[in-house]
Amino acid sequence: MQSVERRYAAFRVDEKQADAELVRLAQGGDERAFQALVVKYQRRIARHVARYVRRAADVEEVVQDAFIRAYRGLASFRGESSFYSWLYRIATNAAFSFLKKTAGEVEVDERSDEGFEPGVSDEQSPERVLFARQIGDAVERAMGRLQPELAEALVLFEVEGKSYREIAQMLGTPIGTVRTRIFRAREFIARRLEPVLGPVRDRRW
Amino acid sequence: MSLKVSALLDGQLEPAEVRPTLEELAADAALRDRYTLYGLVGDALRANPTPDDGFSIRIFERMKREAVKVEPGFDPLKG
Repeated sequence: MQSVERRYAAFRVDEKQADAELVRLAQGGDERAFQALVVKYQRRIARHVARYVRRAADVEEVVQDAFIRAYRGLASFRGESSFYSWLYRIATNAAFSFLKKTAGEVEVDERSDEGFEPGVSDEQSPERVLFARQIGDAVERAMGRLQPELAEALVLFEVEGKSYREIAQMLGTPIGTVRTRIFRAREFIARRLEPVLGPVRDRRW
Repeated sequence: MSLKVSALLDGQLEPAEVRPTLEELAADAALRDRYTLYGLVGDALRANPTPDDGFSIRIFERMKREAVKVEPGFDPLKG
């Protein structure tokens, strides 16, 4: 039991430290460091906000508000929690502020009798839903062709939330090997994703 | 270099490596694409495969437009 707790504690420390240097640079006014954090977390934050706010345009506004408040308030971030959980709380507050602000101007939703499905934005166009599915399928296909030890390292990190150190311990490899395997897995999948993204590929930041 | 970009995304670079890697990113659009793509792969594995159709760029544009700065004493969790 104790060892489980120790492992968990080690993971939390890793998680807290993960963005420490980017945050420190951003606190000093390095916009590139903050941009790297935005690009990293924007999808997760948008998904979180979409649990409270329905319209895609409103989700985007709230996410922008959240990142802007986070940047303005970076000096108050002391690293007591992970940067992501700090951001998550700011986004929650921003979503509630938005809901409060718009409470007086709520329009009647004719479909409200059909029930509200949380987490599903009502402005997801069919094209966008299809596109997301194509990306998901391409990633799945690529995962199926990936060397198992590369796929394993990537899944442990991205899905299971393990740190590099934990993965190294689990697989009995040096941390550098974990780093390389995760990179090679991503690169393999990314190459197969590029043709799918095609002309509507991510706009460059 | 892409290996470092991958590790940057995971917060697994040595602190001293972070700034030089950001500088490489700033100078190389193809590397920034890698960073974005690697992030998309992770989100797709977590069943959240939404492409970035300029979402982050619009955040940066608004930050520039509103001249957003780090404000000592501003608490983003209040108010």
